[in-house]
Amino acid sequence: MTALLTLNNVSKSFTRGGILSRHRIEAVKNVSFTIENNRPEIFAIIGESGSGKTTLARMILGMQEVSGGSLTLEGNRVGGRTRKERLAFMAKVQPIFQNPFEAFNPLKKIDYYLLLTAMRFGGAVDIAEAEAAADVALRQVGLSLSEIRGRFPHEMSGGQLQRVAIARALVSKPRLIIADEPVSMVDASLRMAIVNLFGELRDKLGLSIIYITHDLATAYYIADRLIIMQKGEVVEAGAAREVLSDPQHPYSRQLRDAVLSPQVTGSLSIQ
Amino acid sequence: MTTQPILRVDHLKAHFRSSYFGVYREVPAVDDISFDVAPNEIFGLAGESSSGKTTLMKTIAGLITPPLELIGGKAQFSFMPPETNLYGADPAQLARIRWSKLSYIMQGSMNVLNPLRQIRSIFRDFAAVHIGGSNSDFETKTVNHLSRLRLDPSVLDAYPHELSGGMRQRVTIALATICRPDFIIADEPTTALDVIVQKEVLGMIRSIQREMGSSVLFVTHDMGVHAALTDKLGIMYAGCLVEAGRTADIFNAPQHPYTRHLIHSLPRIGDTVQRTGLTGTPPNLANPPSGCRFHPRCPLASDICRTERPMMRQIATEHRVACHAVAGDDA
Ligand SMILES: Nc1ncnc2c1ncn2[C@@H]1O[C@H](COP(=O)(O)OP(=O)(O)OP(=O)(O)O)[C@@H](O)[C@H]1O
Ligand SMILES: Nc1ncnc2c1ncn2[C@@H]1O[C@H](COP(=O)(O)OP(=O)(O)OP(=O)(O)O)[C@@H](O)[C@H]1O
Ligand code: SF4
Ligand SMILES: [Mg+2]
Ligand SMILES: [Mg+2]
Repeated sequence: MTALLTLNNVSKSFTRGGILSRHRIEAVKNVSFTIENNRPEIFAIIGESGSGKTTLARMILGMQEVSGGSLTLEGNRVGGRTRKERLAFMAKVQPIFQNPFEAFNPLKKIDYYLLLTAMRFGGAVDIAEAEAAADVALRQVGLSLSEIRGRFPHEMSGGQLQRVAIARALVSKPRLIIADEPVSMVDASLRMAIVNLFGELRDKLGLSIIYITHDLATAYYIADRLIIMQKGEVVEAGAAREVLSDPQHPYSRQLRDAVLSPQVTGSLSIQ
Repeated sequence: MTTQPILRVDHLKAHFRSSYFGVYREVPAVDDISFDVAPNEIFGLAGESSSGKTTLMKTIAGLITPPLELIGGKAQFSFMPPETNLYGADPAQLARIRWSKLSYIMQGSMNVLNPLRQIRSIFRDFAAVHIGGSNSDFETKTVNHLSRLRLDPSVLDAYPHELSGGMRQRVTIALATICRPDFIIADEPTTALDVIVQKEVLGMIRSIQREMGSSVLFVTHDMGVHAALTDKLGIMYAGCLVEAGRTADIFNAPQHPYTRHLIHSLPRIGDTVQRTGLTGTPPNLANPPSGCRFHPRCPLASDICRTERPMMRQIATEHRVACHAVAGDDA
């Protein structure tokens, strides 16, 4: 089996703060995992806020250099390529960001992004093809081109915007999607529709998805494997359902036990 | 026992009115909504994505700017003089109210922290006038408050982009709570937090609210958060409030078909049942379905649902539902 994505002891450090208060942060420490080419999967990353999940995603996307270790996509090092190689890479790996409000330029109309992506990475040769590709992708997430045409990001709700972001990622027919908290802004029903959509993309299109989330229940529901991160390190890794049913590391247990159940009301009212 | 509500929302209507290339669009994002929030109460609001929750919060807070227009009704806070509301209040009055009486954590506000200012300066800008005291007092208070949100004092030296999403979200919660306001509006304030930190942050909001006897309007899609935190819960669909009541009653005996779907769509760890989203497409609010706006997707829809809009009716103590299929008294 050949690897689609390989991380080998990937690390990232930052320095933060002003000149007088400068200090070093080890945001990601020695993370290793592989996603195989012939085994599409949903790979969940869960863990502490500030544990390096987004930093890891940004390194996989080539948006941030690694400080240590190696990161390869189909055997090629991620980062530092020519423009042409970069475009080919971006067609294969598409992001869905943590927050839809961040992902769109407030001054550009929403349909502009989809058409641009279709022309740049999706192989569309003219506007008509780009519109058709955009509409197909939008319909996969429960929207349509006619609904969003001419609208600016601020005219959309958070949930609508996130669905547009997912559609935009689908336009270039990628091999891997990096979804950083893609459902944290949508209602429970739509959340299930979107994670089911991820399942379909995996099963029907053979796409792999790195699913970063704080929602352990959907990770249990849809993910094949997962890693749990704390302070930059992977503290537990394995089959999603096994790990969440019977977490071994103390942090993983604490995390699982802190999930608020909609079956139990008023659990925070007595302090 | 009847206490004076701290907030009374009375037949509130606010629409987006715009025209684009000569095509006029009117979006009734807040359409005839009424509810009360009592002192010392956490009122939760859930509902479909783009059902108008954020627009409702903005309208209540008086942040009504074009294309949003107030069409009718009112939102009256008890700390405002009678027959005045925040909308149209003069700027000096608003400035006094903001932060000390009413603070508003906007959806996505973690992304609008000024990127050029260190977190310490952002705290100075907003809260120093209300807190008073010397610089070192202020620093101590800020550091203590941050620690209640599990943030290290070193975040004060950071710029917003140097913090993770969850850290920025906690900074905005800290800003909104440090002045201990009477009323907090929080729109999706904990979406970027891991469940351990989220639980602590919610506990902190709960205890500040208890200490102060203040009230909170809490918008989130996370039904686990509603179950754990809120006293009352309202459910929105397509610009309308379709059900409201005590949180426990809504979870234990949801009445509106949309509420029932919402509660039953939640997955759980250990449960492998296939869950599906609602069938059909979300309503186009620029051209909403006639009668009950849920009727094209409702398993119980009958003829009357297609023509007549169901009004909110009282079906039990403090439990109201807008549905033709649920019997009740006119409220
Ligand atoms: N550009 C940057 N400069 C300095 N420090 C950074 C930068 N980006 C991230 N960090 C730091 O790296 C750590 C990891 O941040 P990251 O955003 O990867 O966390 P995360 O796991 O995605 O958290 P969350 O769940 O809150 O989104 C944090 O301590 C953060 O402050
Ligand atoms: N500036 C605007 N102009 C026109 N329509 C708008 C504008 N802002 C919002 N809308 C529309 O108003 C409706 C309600 O949006 P709102 O943001 O209030 O929903 P929401 O319930 O907060 O959604 P979410 O759960 O996704 O945050 C949506 O259909 C949205 O597209
Ligand atoms: S009024 Fe009719 S369509 Fe609307 S929720 Fe009730 S039964 Fe369904
Ligand atoms: Mg993150
Ligand atoms: Mg909203």
